[in-house]
Amino acid sequence: MTTSRSRLAAALIAPVLTIALLAGCSSTPQADPAASADAAWSFTDDTGTTVTLDHRPERVASYADYAIGLLSYGLDPVAVFGRVDVASDDRFADYDLGDTAVVGNTYGEIDLEALAEAAPDLIVTGIYPTDREGTLDLTAPYYGFADMEQQAQLEKIAPVVAIEVGGAGSDVIDSLNRLSSALGVSDDTIATAKAEYDTAAADLTAAAAESDLEVTQMYASADGIYVVKPADEPETQLYSDLGVTFTDAHPDGDYYWDIYSWENAAQMMTGDVLLVNVEGYGAAELAAQPTFASHPALVAGQVHSWNGAALDYRSQAAHMEQLASILRESKAVS
Amino acid sequence: MIALVGLVAVMTALSLLLGSNLISPYAVVGALVDPANDPGAVVWGSRVPRTVLGLLVGLCLGVAGAVMQGQTRNPLADPGIFGVSAGASLAVVIGVYVVGTSSVLATLWLALAGAIVASIVVFGVAALGRGLSSPVPLAIAGTAVSALLVALTSYLVLSDETTLAAYRIWVVGSLSGRTLDGVGIAALFALAGLVFAVANVRSLNSLALGTELARGLGENLLRARILGLAAITLLTASAVAITGPIGFIGLTAPHIARRLVRGDHSWLVPASGLIGACVLLACDVIGRVIGGTAEVPVGVVLTVLGGVVFIGIVRRGRIAAL
Repeated sequence: MTTSRSRLAAALIAPVLTIALLAGCSSTPQADPAASADAAWSFTDDTGTTVTLDHRPERVASYADYAIGLLSYGLDPVAVFGRVDVASDDRFADYDLGDTAVVGNTYGEIDLEALAEAAPDLIVTGIYPTDREGTLDLTAPYYGFADMEQQAQLEKIAPVVAIEVGGAGSDVIDSLNRLSSALGVSDDTIATAKAEYDTAAADLTAAAAESDLEVTQMYASADGIYVVKPADEPETQLYSDLGVTFTDAHPDGDYYWDIYSWENAAQMMTGDVLLVNVEGYGAAELAAQPTFASHPALVAGQVHSWNGAALDYRSQAAHMEQLASILRESKAVS
Repeated sequence: MIALVGLVAVMTALSLLLGSNLISPYAVVGALVDPANDPGAVVWGSRVPRTVLGLLVGLCLGVAGAVMQGQTRNPLADPGIFGVSAGASLAVVIGVYVVGTSSVLATLWLALAGAIVASIVVFGVAALGRGLSSPVPLAIAGTAVSALLVALTSYLVLSDETTLAAYRIWVVGSLSGRTLDGVGIAALFALAGLVFAVANVRSLNSLALGTELARGLGENLLRARILGLAAITLLTASAVAITGPIGFIGLTAPHIARRLVRGDHSWLVPASGLIGACVLLACDVIGRVIGGTAEVPVGVVLTVLGGVVFIGIVRRGRIAAL
């Protein structure tokens, strides 16, 4: 419903914009000759791919998480595609997507026609390393794309750049900032966002120090419990850096997750606070598992539904404030 | 038969003793004797429920398979043919899609309801058509209804990723994370199914001689069909509700049983049930010990091993025309 509405909006707005642009070109051709938007533009992304265009991209299509980052700097994407329904994604709540075409609401499903209609100059998505060393597999499709064939079709619409989402959280934010600067966001705008972020970061550090709690970030289903390895997920890496203690029983082992069957649940019950992924079991379902029901944090009600936030200054500032208040209202239980 | 009962006992013991958490056998026995002495609730919270459920589901599928193959006189018949698995799947998917529920208890009820409704529809379609004396209309109606239900299920899971994610976990078939809460109702349905199956044994022996001869022996065909169908539906529905659809047991257990006790259904049906229970527990134990601290769902182990075993059975070339 909303998708078709925004598509309709895009269809209506596109010609209007075109007319406006044409009008602008014809009536005031020399109005702003020094505008950097008219100069040739080149950008090398985290995969080493260099995109060269004859002007700075004004019309950007993006995967949801990076779209949120761009929006936080006032760059409105012309199209956005997500892994979940964009219209009901709370993370967009602060932003107006009225002028943005939603061209995908499921991982790998992108409406190429609608995207082409939005006429982007550049497509932004991410790439996840395949291991702890940060290896990027460029023979596999980028994050958010179904396969190489789809990626090739997308590249015909506009060049694609990828942000590496792995390793240190601050590196991911820096990568988004580098792209945003290249797209014309001023240093002042980034500095303002950073100030807000630094305040929240300092507050999280303070909250972590006063509370001295262990936080378990996990996903659970009938299969068992998946515990995030703090060093492998950029967000938990960032918060660890800021002083939050995460459950980290096997820092070396498998990449990204430690998986525990339900009968092994006792091995991961060291946390004081549980951040459970919104897409898996919630508190009630966890309490129904006999091998987990006695978890001290669960018994104490210190279970919070948790969603991955976008890695940009503003999203992270809000997420860190949320975590800081969770830490302040929780007590040590184990 | 006594050997089979012994084998079930051995499998039960193994299922209690072995798992992804490597606690010592002494600790397991200690916890069994004294439930208070069960650190992490591993024995009473995980091993006992999944062993009980494994026995129940394996027994149901084994018996349902034997009744199914006897009713249809088809060695390739699987309890899923009457649309039971497809109906359960669709109900579970609708539950996730419409209400967003994927809790174990809600899934159990939905699967049970879906399975029973589907088999009533199949039975109705067959009864409206050429009648029930031959197994063929039933099988065709079942296949047709299954195809329709599978199509609807595919549509729902392919159009909504959240539904697909929940469905993916359920459809594999697993004993992990199941508790005995609320299973009582499924067990009641299973018990009723077992009673019907036992009551159907004599008819199955007559049906093995062919429909005409069975009628000549004074068999009430309609009654025999209804009884058999009710047994298959109730048994498969309760099994699917507890673990999700599990393949191969209903297909292979009767073949192994036939090898051991020959064709008399009064031996074949219970033997097939016991073999089903053994196979399911064995595969679950294998899945638990090969995954490190995680586990491999029993449905996956069964699909891999079951395929190999079935090829072995076929290669031996001893599948009797029933």
